[in-house]
Amino acid sequence: MSEKPVQPDLSGIADLDRMVHEPARLAVLSLLYVIESADFTFLMNQTGLTWGNLSAHLGKLEEAGYIASEKSFKGKRPNTSLHLTSEGRKAFREYARKMKSLFQGLPD
Amino acid sequence: MNTPIDLKDIERKAFRSTYQDGLWDIYYGLIIVAMSIFVYRPPQGYGPMNIILMVLLFGLAYGFLWAGKKYITLPRMGMVTFGTIRKKKRKTMMIILGIFILFQVALLAATAFGWFNPKANQLLNKFMPNGDASLMIVSLIGSLILGISMVVVFNFSDYPRGYYIALLMSLAVFLMIYLNQPLYPIIIGVLIILPGVVLFTRFLKRYPLDRQERSDE
Repeated sequence: MSEKPVQPDLSGIADLDRMVHEPARLAVLSLLYVIESADFTFLMNQTGLTWGNLSAHLGKLEEAGYIASEKSFKGKRPNTSLHLTSEGRKAFREYARKMKSLFQGLPD
Repeated sequence: MNTPIDLKDIERKAFRSTYQDGLWDIYYGLIIVAMSIFVYRPPQGYGPMNIILMVLLFGLAYGFLWAGKKYITLPRMGMVTFGTIRKKKRKTMMIILGIFILFQVALLAATAFGWFNPKANQLLNKFMPNGDASLMIVSLIGSLILGISMVVVFNFSDYPRGYYIALLMSLAVFLMIYLNQPLYPIIIGVLIILPGVVLFTRFLKRYPLDRQERSDE
């Protein structure tokens, strides 16, 4: 009689959305989740990321379809406003749900 | 990660960050200075200077806030539009303030009615004490109306510093009606402006305009 190997089920970790899981992107998504929209400067101030770093992460999030940008002019100055797409909102919620269930029963 | 992600806290902090420039504090302080000149009744009667100075100071206060937000704060802090939580709070605040304004209009109408109607005037005089006590009641009513309205505004705006401002504004209105001299209310106005100036200076140091270029280097 062969016994099945006893292994913990860690498949939940592999299922985590890496696009959301990265700390800088998670910070951006958390912020965009609770507000309607913000421009680049506001996100930079709130997340504490540098211009280049934030720019790179926003590019990735936009590519994944999690955020969308709207270009406009405020007076003579160009302004890019960013907001979470419904796909991004769904991904963020799903990520939060998975993280919660992943750490259920975590011993103190 | 040491701290949990509290989305409500993130939203609250993001909202409060829009007040850290101190411009609203300066604005409210200037409003009190303008009001002290408006409410002051000189012995020789209301002169054109009362009106001119008041309009100039109200204009200065509003102009300073508008220009400061547009040309100083926004380029440094960035633009943000808050979500439904804030919109709901704002709507509730506007309804409550609307009720307050209706109450004030009713109070004003009742005063005017009592003033011009001899019977109502007599009736009112029966209930209102004469002289100093009467002035104290009027000062208290004015002070409470402004104080409560400001507490409502600051409560719905998540603006903890605002309670200090509301208290001082309330005291200033009481003193400007009761003592009829603009000096004490102006001093109180300055007491509101000063922390605003400190915050504004700190804000300019913390968020220099050339930060974006420097962070690229």
